[in-house]
Amino acid sequence: MRKILAILIILQLLSVNMKAQEWVVPDDRKGRLSTFPFDDNTRSSGQKIYNLNCMSCHGTPGKSNYLNLVPPPGDPATDKIQHNSDGEMFYKVQSGRGQMPSFRSVLTSDELWQVVSYIRSFNKSYKQQFRAVISSSAYPGATINMTLALNEPDSTFILTAWADRETGRVPVTDAGVRIFIHRTFGHQAVDEEKITDKTGKAVFKIPLKLNGDSLGNVTVSARFVDEDTFGTASKDTVLAAGIRTYPVSLVKERAMWNKASKAPLWIMLSYILGVLIAWSFIIIVLLKIRDIYITGKYIESAESEKQNN
Amino acid sequence: MARSIYNTDIHREKLESVSSDILRNVRINKGFIIWMGILALALAACVFAYTIQLKKGLGVTGLRDATSWGMYIATFVFFVATSLVGMLISSVLGLAGVKWIRPIARIAEIIAVAFAAIAGLVIVSDMGRPDRLPYVFMFGRFQSPILWDVTVVTTYFFVSLMLWFIPLIPDLAIAKTRLNGRPGFLIKAYELLSVNWINHDRQVKIMHQAMRILLILIVPLAFAIHTVTSWLFALTPRAGWDSTIFGPYFISGAFVSGTAAVIIAMYFYRENYRLSRYLTNDHFEKIGRVLALVSIIYIYFNINEFLVPAYKLKTHDAIHLRELLTGHHAMLFWSVQLLGLVIPVILLLIKRMRRPLPLLLISAVVLTASWFKRYIIVVPPQEHPYLPVQNVPIEWMVYKPTVIETAVTFGSLILVLMIITVLSKLFPVLPVWELAEEEASAKGEENKQ
Ligand code: HEC
Repeated sequence: MRKILAILIILQLLSVNMKAQEWVVPDDRKGRLSTFPFDDNTRSSGQKIYNLNCMSCHGTPGKSNYLNLVPPPGDPATDKIQHNSDGEMFYKVQSGRGQMPSFRSVLTSDELWQVVSYIRSFNKSYKQQFRAVISSSAYPGATINMTLALNEPDSTFILTAWADRETGRVPVTDAGVRIFIHRTFGHQAVDEEKITDKTGKAVFKIPLKLNGDSLGNVTVSARFVDEDTFGTASKDTVLAAGIRTYPVSLVKERAMWNKASKAPLWIMLSYILGVLIAWSFIIIVLLKIRDIYITGKYIESAESEKQNN
Repeated sequence: MARSIYNTDIHREKLESVSSDILRNVRINKGFIIWMGILALALAACVFAYTIQLKKGLGVTGLRDATSWGMYIATFVFFVATSLVGMLISSVLGLAGVKWIRPIARIAEIIAVAFAAIAGLVIVSDMGRPDRLPYVFMFGRFQSPILWDVTVVTTYFFVSLMLWFIPLIPDLAIAKTRLNGRPGFLIKAYELLSVNWINHDRQVKIMHQAMRILLILIVPLAFAIHTVTSWLFALTPRAGWDSTIFGPYFISGAFVSGTAAVIIAMYFYRENYRLSRYLTNDHFEKIGRVLALVSIIYIYFNINEFLVPAYKLKTHDAIHLRELLTGHHAMLFWSVQLLGLVIPVILLLIKRMRRPLPLLLISAVVLTASWFKRYIIVVPPQEHPYLPVQNVPIEWMVYKPTVIETAVTFGSLILVLMIITVLSKLFPVLPVWELAEEEASAKGEENKQ
């Protein structure tokens, strides 16, 4: 009972502490919403991202096994994190604070929303609102979109951004854009920041020796650098821009890290030979002791026979 | 003197006097029972501590995520090291034809057997789930130094045991008729273990062959056992362990602690068993020189081990060395290096210090320092891993042994003492046969003059 009281008191102190350093999210960001509805697909993508990027600190949601950091990361299944609005959660993960890293250049907006969708799956009372239409202060009243295409002969990516108004479609010009390629741990920036031209296009050089999957595919994502002005439109596209690679399992060949049956041959042989040699000598010595025994017995019986005779 | 060392041509009377001197101590007397009783009581307390560890897990020790090897592994390394002296004395010096080691060889083997036997057990005490010990053999990987270590410790123990046992066979045969008044089981054991030894030429020859095989076999084995022990560390990329000279560094260190242990045992037998006729001042003088020599070699390896990284000061080595030389562990480090190595060597160069009593005192300090030296090798490198760890409780990073852990460690030491006691109380500690021959031939030479 006393233990529980002590824990309660500590928790109380902690929460006072927490309030003192509340994490304030700018008002215009609090209400930001996902551009797509959360479903099983987004949740399972989010889970993968979470396991790779967040679990090391935040632990398994619902288990409260997060790292003992100051301030504590908290368990995503609990109110500490669920009390955030979608926009707040997005902002905090994107910008980070103290030991909480910023994921701005690691995760795309879509991926950030996928993590949010996964985290929300631990909140039964959560009802999603989303905003399918992305608008921009530079193009009031318009919906912003972009596409990415591969220009194989020049080995470039071409990004095109446009704004749809009721009056028609216009290119988004003079906007800073960046593109990234998805890698196992984070994202690889491609080329530098580019500015869209009069036709709303920007051209990025594809790096030499870009590894793709077995079909040469890579996932490329594009977004505006200044999302405040041009909006949060982003585009993840699978393009066959990479070299085909056929990853070989690291445990396929004999290796130091492999299981016993796949140990390097030289180490297997050295071990087995060493043991055999050492123990065969030991056995020889044991046989010699037996020899001593037999010799003694034989000679003694011979002697006693002699005496008897 | 190209004759067999197990010469059959011996003066009867010499044999009588030597055997009565040495066999006098083979008995189960009050002292033995009281001493074993005390050890057993102390052991019971340690076993109790171990049962707590068994029930609650390794959490009751100071071992945590960062420092997962502590006192137990330091003790393991210390035991393996000390047991290496069997090879040094019987084999290296023996095969080189050094004669004065004859009365000491068996003492060295007793030390070797006792420490090697318990070394394996110490490893088990470091396991959170000792019931999974068989897994090492069932799922052991050829690539794992742990498997090599288990293999080589077992093999070394067997060979040491035989190196102790085989030269004992003639003594058992001599003793079995001279054990009146000793308990029946002991006489029966002697009868059985003396494997029909009648000192026949043919038997002597066979024993000779067996000994030669063993004396040669033990050399690579002893090098293997302690090199593999050093590889448990050196094959791990960690500042402070990541060293190419760890093998010879460990082996030269092993000779220091082993020789010190043998000297302590020699002194004990000489005084308590009244054997000063056989363990003479001259023996102490000579083994004192051996201790000085192996210590100097060890100092040389120490200089290599610390000077080379200290010159380059690679980031992580620098952190480790700073902690060791001037930081958290400096006190212990310098005490061990100076009290346990440098000062003993300086003292040992003085002839008066190689007399039995001063040599005993020096050896006691050296042996104690040897244990702390292993601690210094095992623990500090774990406190600063390459992957940074932040904001964790201090006790996760900095190791502090607990009472339970200390008790279990003492338990292993008590077991070593028990084995030594049994071996040196139930069996002759000096080779009766060889000494009788030695005395006889010395007599013979006197007569000739
Ligand atoms: C290196 C450890 C670490 C990693 C990795 C990490 N976090 Fe955090 N996280 C923290 C810490 C520490 C805090 C508390 C920061 C504070 O309050 O100043 C935190 C806070 C948060 C918050 C805000 C909680 C609140 O009180 O409102 C959210 C949401 C969050 N993390 C989500 C994530 C997600 C999603 C990921 C993975 C994409 C992630 N974190 C990865 C350590 C981490």
